[in-house]
Amino acid sequence: MTTRARTRPRLRPRPQGVLLILCGAALLRIALFSELYLRYVKEGLRPYLVVSGVALIALALVGMVSRDHEEKEEEKEEEHGHDHEEEEDEHGHDHTRSPRIAWLLTAPALALLLFPPPALGSYSAGREEARVAAQGTGTFPELPAGDPVDLTLGAFASRAEWDTGASMKGRTVRLTGFVTRDDDGTWYIARLLVTCCAADAQALKVRIRGADAPAADAWVTVTGAWRPTGKPGSDAARPVLDAASVKRVAAPSDPYEKR
Amino acid sequence: MDTSGVETRDAELGGADTSGADTRGAGSRSSAADGARLVVRALVYVVVGGVALVVIATVGSVLGPMVALDIATPAMAAWWTVFTAVAVQGIPFLLLGTVVSAAIGAFVPERVFSRVLPKNPALAVPVAGAAGAVLPGCECASVPVADSLMRRGVAPAAALAFLLSAPAINPVVLVATSIAFPGNPAMVGARLVASLATAVVMGWLWVRFGREEWLPTRRTPEVGAGAATGGWRGFRDGLQHDFLHAGGFLVLGAAAAATFNILVPRSLLDVFTGSPWLSVLLLAVLAVVLCVCSEADAFVAASLTGFSPTARLAFMVVGPMVDLKLIALQAGTFGRAFAFRFSAVTWVVAVVSSGVVGWWLL
Repeated sequence: MTTRARTRPRLRPRPQGVLLILCGAALLRIALFSELYLRYVKEGLRPYLVVSGVALIALALVGMVSRDHEEKEEEKEEEHGHDHEEEEDEHGHDHTRSPRIAWLLTAPALALLLFPPPALGSYSAGREEARVAAQGTGTFPELPAGDPVDLTLGAFASRAEWDTGASMKGRTVRLTGFVTRDDDGTWYIARLLVTCCAADAQALKVRIRGADAPAADAWVTVTGAWRPTGKPGSDAARPVLDAASVKRVAAPSDPYEKR
Repeated sequence: MDTSGVETRDAELGGADTSGADTRGAGSRSSAADGARLVVRALVYVVVGGVALVVIATVGSVLGPMVALDIATPAMAAWWTVFTAVAVQGIPFLLLGTVVSAAIGAFVPERVFSRVLPKNPALAVPVAGAAGAVLPGCECASVPVADSLMRRGVAPAAALAFLLSAPAINPVVLVATSIAFPGNPAMVGARLVASLATAVVMGWLWVRFGREEWLPTRRTPEVGAGAATGGWRGFRDGLQHDFLHAGGFLVLGAAAAATFNILVPRSLLDVFTGSPWLSVLLLAVLAVVLCVCSEADAFVAASLTGFSPTARLAFMVVGPMVDLKLIALQAGTFGRAFAFRFSAVTWVVAVVSSGVVGWWLL
């Protein structure tokens, strides 16, 4: 009782609690309440993001509630724990205070909460040479039935570059992606291939011929025929499509192509 | 304000009562006051938080278009996307790492480690390196775990070997590598061997040349200070502190990674693919600046078609051990002096090791 009489409850919200809630809320906003997370990371990470968001908020709430019983201890620590965090953190190792560097977390958290950055688009695709991983030439399995047949850009590009059986010959294919333009007027339908997060995005591009270029970054569906450009496996074999029609479509919720 | 009221009432009661029954009454009343205080506090949090949110939302909707104009340049927008992507991707793994490390700190007694690991640090290093295979995750998780191992009295050399090997040789990463290089199991084997060799060599180098003073002083088991409390309280505080601390450095690393990601177009590399030795060094540098997560780097390596297998191996061996994000995390956890020296030496050892293994296996 005497110890309690000396403690003052503090009504200011504890900074580390606020930080944890911000981070947790940002994760839940992009992974639970929307599909924005697909702009940043692969689909499989969703459950982990949700669990992390819930855990961070729970940690903050538990911390706030149970502070009541720990105030006296903290008061003592506060007296000499104030000015040696950042660098001295390793020494003081005062677990109840938040390190100053942690405030950097507010940058991505607030960005996600207020202005979620857009998915990578033609800027990233344009500055990278499109290349599908070398897989060696060979024959590919028959294309699935359907006219036109829907293909991912990755499938189209690898068949165009490596298929000695020319399995796309005579078929009408349909590709979906965003528009990327070169300075010299050629344009591509592009998609970014994301393995883990947007930092490892690789560009997939198919050159489109026989149609005028829509505005850069517009999402389109192009229907047309594959145009062979060289011997499979050689540098001359590039993915090129002779377009019959170009249609504007809405951007998909998952902007990236999966591996 | 209300507290002073509570205080005086408590004091009065304490002074007036002489019988045991009254004392008990005072106790239950004070717990009621405790509860009331809790409610008041919760209310204040909700009100303050609500007001803050409303203010932020208003300011945001007004300033939003202006800020949007600012980030509208494609390069800046791409920077923000990559920056948040690295942070978002890292946070679950960082949380996993800090949960494991806080659990080690709070619940696993020191004698467990002294029993499992050989007494001799030179022998403990390979054991700890091989134990890295059990922590599934990317490199963000391993830093806090290695830190708490040291705090639990594990020899620094062994903990460092674990730190280096865990993100590189765990099953998730090896499976990803085999998917990225189909029909090329030698690449998976080479990655495993070269990464493990680097980790073990680094551990031994620490045994031989390492100095305690390069690491922060709290490495020596702390006595008293109240911080080393075990149990749930220690777990929670450790988790909260470690996560926030490492999270800040993760953001720092993400910013560096995004900057290089925007500044260095990968197509620029084609210029250097001619010389095999130069290309090994080049990809080893690229691994440091690109900060691709260890679960994804095999796919990036596979797409670097112009480079020799050894150069791509170097990319995959260096990446999980030395990159900007990791250097930032290590600087935060172990101190700057340590992080730079350790990372520089690790880089050299990793390049040599992948060169040798690549020449042998690929």
